[in-house]
Amino acid sequence: MSNRYKRSITGTLAAATCTLLGSNMPEPVQAQEEPGWDFNTALLYYGEDDDRVQDLSLNVLTRRTFVDDRFLTFGVTLDALTGASPNGALPQSVPQTFTKPSGKGTYTTAPDQLPLDDTFKDARVAVTANWQQPLGRLFQVNAGVSASKEYDYLHLGLNAKISRDFNKRNTTLSAGFAIAQDESDPIGGTPTGLTAMLNAVEDDDEGRRKGPLETKDIFDIVFGVTQVISRNLLMQVNYSYSDTSGYLTDPYKTISVVDGATGDAVPVIPTPGDGPSHLNLFEHRPDNRVKHSLYTQAKYHMNGKVLDLSYRYMTDDWEIDSHTVDLRFRWPISDRSYLEPHLRFYTQTAAEFYSLYLIDGEPLPEYASADFRLGDFDATTAGLKFGWKTGGGNDMSVRVELYKQSGNISSGQLIGDQVGRDNYPDLNAIIVQYGYRFGK
Amino acid sequence: MASRSSQRGITVDQHDGYWRGKFLAMASPCEVLCETDNQGGAERLTELVATEAWRIEDKFSRYLPGNIVNRINEANGRPIEVDAETTQLIDFSLSLYELSHGRFDITSGVLRRVWTFDGSSNIPSKSSVKAVKRYLGWKRVRWNAPVLQMQPGMELDFGGIGKEYAVDRAANLLRNATPLGCLVNFGGDLVAARKPCRRDAWNVGVEAVDASRPAGEKLLNLQVGALATSGDARRFLFRDGIRYSHILDPLTGWPVPDAPRSITVAADTCTQAGMLSTLAMLEGAQAEQFLEAQAVRYWCNRGNAVAGN
Amino acid sequence: MRYSFLIAGLLALGGLPGCSSMGVEPWERDVLAKEEMQLTTDPVEAASDDHIYFSKEASSGGRGFGGGGCGCN
Repeated sequence: MSNRYKRSITGTLAAATCTLLGSNMPEPVQAQEEPGWDFNTALLYYGEDDDRVQDLSLNVLTRRTFVDDRFLTFGVTLDALTGASPNGALPQSVPQTFTKPSGKGTYTTAPDQLPLDDTFKDARVAVTANWQQPLGRLFQVNAGVSASKEYDYLHLGLNAKISRDFNKRNTTLSAGFAIAQDESDPIGGTPTGLTAMLNAVEDDDEGRRKGPLETKDIFDIVFGVTQVISRNLLMQVNYSYSDTSGYLTDPYKTISVVDGATGDAVPVIPTPGDGPSHLNLFEHRPDNRVKHSLYTQAKYHMNGKVLDLSYRYMTDDWEIDSHTVDLRFRWPISDRSYLEPHLRFYTQTAAEFYSLYLIDGEPLPEYASADFRLGDFDATTAGLKFGWKTGGGNDMSVRVELYKQSGNISSGQLIGDQVGRDNYPDLNAIIVQYGYRFGK
Repeated sequence: MASRSSQRGITVDQHDGYWRGKFLAMASPCEVLCETDNQGGAERLTELVATEAWRIEDKFSRYLPGNIVNRINEANGRPIEVDAETTQLIDFSLSLYELSHGRFDITSGVLRRVWTFDGSSNIPSKSSVKAVKRYLGWKRVRWNAPVLQMQPGMELDFGGIGKEYAVDRAANLLRNATPLGCLVNFGGDLVAARKPCRRDAWNVGVEAVDASRPAGEKLLNLQVGALATSGDARRFLFRDGIRYSHILDPLTGWPVPDAPRSITVAADTCTQAGMLSTLAMLEGAQAEQFLEAQAVRYWCNRGNAVAGN
Repeated sequence: MRYSFLIAGLLALGGLPGCSSMGVEPWERDVLAKEEMQLTTDPVEAASDDHIYFSKEASSGGRGFGGGGCGCN
């Protein structure tokens, strides 16, 4: 900006105008844009390779602006999920059979294939509502509710946040909390942790073990500081604490029991008519989890381009540590379009009770899970977004991202025949999203 | 030139629940909206505003022989004594000349002699622009109120402030004439002189510059205060892929590069709003930066979409 | 080791408000007012990503509240 206008000239201008018009200066101007609805919509496809999970979702967020900087926001998300997920068992060099979660029938995995449970087809609806308004000159408050429903899951939550500006609005401190109660009604009932996967039931049996509803209570608090560093640089640091208690186990996941010498899964003998071919125990997680996160973000503007860099450190009492580095670079390529490359690096260490397998004959641990999402892995995302302004002045964007997750399994963890097999369900997924923002 | 008297009538009708008086002045369609109960009241108020608008137009028009501007422009180097109102306008212009470090200069009208913004590709030569620059520049003016003396060949042009000044004067007359809600609008430069009694606010549109994009219009709620717009909708030149806006920089004699298509500013008076939008246009690519620094509400159209704050 | 990392971060966070002289004048907020300089430029995109990573990884949230609210983890 030219040095000519380092300061505001409105004072001098007002004085000159006052002289011109005589002492008849009117009251201060009051003008606002007519309140309307802004819409932010997106259609997203997520697809993993190897016939694994595919998800299609529609997301609509709409915000109504009221006078005096008050906002009401509603959001709706619709998701349709299909495809297969790893069930936690290890691949074997022989075929394996597992009972479906509903208990009605079994499915088989070919030799040397990662066992995948493909009985999941689910739809989810999620809604949110949020109210934001200023409180006095320097405070702002937010309050919201959220709810979501799937076939076997219900979530209800409340959240609130307050923030205050300091130092000519260069510094903002905020504090917020969220509480939620989730209920799950596992298909086929809740299995008892670390017990064997059961046989299938007779066809006329209307779903056995209709268990009680399982609940989970979540409590989150976040403290944050946002600081303007310079005309071109803004930073934020947040500390979050989260406490979850209740039923935290995944009722559909198992863990293979293997022979201590060969590393092969122990077959069930005698072979049942319709049931699992090998010994699999349902996983069991603790009934409480406390997480701490530290998140920091910087946005740096240079000549029209914007660099967005963030880092998050998470640690919890399951002994999982994670680091996330996220980098975006918005690069305007014309006065109405931009490109935004994106890179994200993620790494986590395994939960204390995570294990690829349990050894036959050894005493059972209190908790065990082979869910790869609690394991030791690295993940990388690389993506590109292209955004443009339409003729009508609205915003459209398309982004494509590739997400790759690969497990870190030290050779010391593998025994016998496991060495040389692909034991960890590495993940490769593509994300494609089309977004459209419009409104009045 | 068409007969002045035939263009100087007022018409009054009802529009959207208000009485609306219309007339032509300063080459713009002008209107007065008021909440009077009857046609007579509306006519009276419109007459009041129109009379003042025509008075200012006649007094400061470049084309009317014998008026003060004409006498100044034909002075050929002689000192001219001006009246109180002209003195105030010249003093105001001088303040703005200093505030803008020379970018706002009422002696820059002579650039009209070489620049004609008719949508063609007729760009003047560098030498002709250089030649005409010898006839502009406030530093060539001797001003000791109320005596003005300029070098021969120089002109004063109040076109940059005349309309906004007239709107503010009209708004003042309305405020003294009626306690009811009223608004005066001279072709887009407007003042809501009083809040409407019957509604929350006056509903005003900020126009898109290109008629092909009606979706660009934004609606505003204006309770009280002024809006002024600077824009180049039809006045530009186009050559070799470059659009030359009609906003000329008096310091260079050439159009300001990268000027927005239009800027609308909201301020307490139309004079302030008009000056801020003019000064912002003169900043070209940095128009938005300038407006953000002044902490005023503005809407800036660069031909793709309207951005504002 | 794990908690010392966290404590170091919290101390850094505590130090920030000490920068009470840092910042810009109100008339220098032109760049900060741009849409692309907001901390979350697209809330829908951020929510979609948070949901994907919540269902495939063991961490969540950070920027705001922890994502979640579904049966996918």
